[in-house]
Amino acid sequence: MKKKYLNEAFLLLMAVPILLWSLLPIYHIFLFSISSKDSAFSGALWPDLPTLRNFSYIWKQQHFYLYHFWVQIWNSLWIAVAVGALTLAVASCAAFAISRLKVRGGRTVMNLALFTYFIPAAFLAIPMYKAMGNYGLLNNRWSLVLAMVTLASPYAIWVLKQASDKLPWELDEAARIDGATPLQLFRLVYLPLMTPSMVAIGTYALLLAWNEYLYGYLLLSHERTITLAVALGHFTAADDSPWELLMATGLVYALPPAAIYYAFRRYMVSGLTSGAVKS
Amino acid sequence: MASVSFSDVKKSFGATPVLHGISLDILDGEFMVLVGPSGCGKSTLLRMLAGLEEISAGNIAIDTRVVNDVESKDRDIAMVFQSYALYPHMTVGENMGFSLRLRNDAKDLIAQRVAQTAKILNLGPYLERYPRELSGGQRQRVAMGRAIVRDPKVFLFDEPLSNLDAKLRVAMRAEIKALHQRLKTTTVYVTHDQVEAMTMADRIAVMNEGRIEQLGEPLELYDRPANLFVAQFIGSPAMNVFDGIFRGGAVEALGTRWPSNAKAAEGQKVKYGVRPEHLGISAQGAITAEVVVVEPMGAETELVVKVADASLVVTAHGRSNAKPGDAIKLAPDAASVHLFDAASGLRL
Repeated sequence: MKKKYLNEAFLLLMAVPILLWSLLPIYHIFLFSISSKDSAFSGALWPDLPTLRNFSYIWKQQHFYLYHFWVQIWNSLWIAVAVGALTLAVASCAAFAISRLKVRGGRTVMNLALFTYFIPAAFLAIPMYKAMGNYGLLNNRWSLVLAMVTLASPYAIWVLKQASDKLPWELDEAARIDGATPLQLFRLVYLPLMTPSMVAIGTYALLLAWNEYLYGYLLLSHERTITLAVALGHFTAADDSPWELLMATGLVYALPPAAIYYAFRRYMVSGLTSGAVKS
Repeated sequence: MASVSFSDVKKSFGATPVLHGISLDILDGEFMVLVGPSGCGKSTLLRMLAGLEEISAGNIAIDTRVVNDVESKDRDIAMVFQSYALYPHMTVGENMGFSLRLRNDAKDLIAQRVAQTAKILNLGPYLERYPRELSGGQRQRVAMGRAIVRDPKVFLFDEPLSNLDAKLRVAMRAEIKALHQRLKTTTVYVTHDQVEAMTMADRIAVMNEGRIEQLGEPLELYDRPANLFVAQFIGSPAMNVFDGIFRGGAVEALGTRWPSNAKAAEGQKVKYGVRPEHLGISAQGAITAEVVVVEPMGAETELVVKVADASLVVTAHGRSNAKPGDAIKLAPDAASVHLFDAASGLRL
């Protein structure tokens, strides 16, 4: 009994600093976002006159850096959803073909997918820029969508393939005997059973695209085509950066991912770890 | 309704041959059981008939139409898997109607067929439930329902009762048998359990190491096993078998003479086989045995006895007063004794 309390006390001792460590920056962002420009750097733990004026500026796009806020957040959303959907389409088809239809060369594809982990995304940024330029897609939302799908797919295929391998093989055989074509098997049996992993991977790809800065910065340059992540970067371009607005916008920008995580948290852990170990 | 015929069917996995030329004709409406120890190739044979495994050589025909290259779905067969293989995301009704839905049957017709089948299997109250909400026996019935709904030419069962507990297994055995008597659909049933085979089959094919050892009706296999393997595989408890030499119309073995109506050449080395219920206990018996273990089963009693150094099993009808350490006299029924050639294992 005594040992159990000691254990808990120890865990608590570890947890408190870690919690503070993680929450402090978020509190800092929050603090800035409810401060006026003058008091933002006062160093106080709570502003003398907390204000929501920064959010009002954002809402009404009343600042030089915020003139296109709604377009930019729409771009972010559009791109993130498209990346999520496309990655799911690519990865689920690939995983189904490799894991269930046992197509020739499936192993090679899996190995190649794993191999891409060795190449940092930043390394591919310039070639990707060149490729998009060749296709005439620069400054077009599709360029970022295609680039992010390319980056997200290997991991997505890998995870979905592992999850697919866990589905009982008899189900495929039963469906074949019941008269299902491969496409019907995919649509009517495979996809419904893969839902948890699909949600996890879709969310992963969506958030990857939502958070992406480097590729967005490279591939999109017009104020009305950039994503909010890139727009946030512009805030620091001036000598006199409006930090309180940057933090307020950042807070708004961080809300959708938090909401998505919260909504799908049940799937995230089980979906991403399924297939991680052989049971 | 259909006949099924295997002619010289072979199967290899890579360089490893698992079926060495199986020929077997299953009659229209027959309940054929393929039985054998695990790894004997019985499931592979069934899966080849189902179209789930390629055929390495030979032909499989359903109703005289060779189906070697016909897709599973076009063979007009239905299969019940050991794991049931129910679609977890579909209700019982959807599971059962799935094949009809794929066939693009009208919704009313599907509902009608599913309801009909559910009635046969007493699944009516469960149609809206999911497989995870059912017991093992109910899932098994759904798997059967899924097969019945299609009204296929042939039913295939791959060890369908292995996942059930002993009591349920007996009940489902009777249910499947009754179902077959009602529907009269040709059925191929794979099991490793010889009791299932004996109780359900019209005919049994006993398989071992990729070959059919014997094909026949259950009691024919029991009464006249063609070789040692079948003799020891069929029957529970298993037949007692020991080495002996045939001399003067009886077999000399374990230091005594064992009567036999079956004949062998004078001085031939034989395997003497006698089923536990044919080793009668009788005061007039000529063979003395020492009781080692007594297992009362209620209706009968199983005794493990020792003759010389060999352990034999004796089944006595009713109760037995014997206790471990007692000496009893055995009188084997000469007419029910089996002799096998010691070298080839074939029946003499």
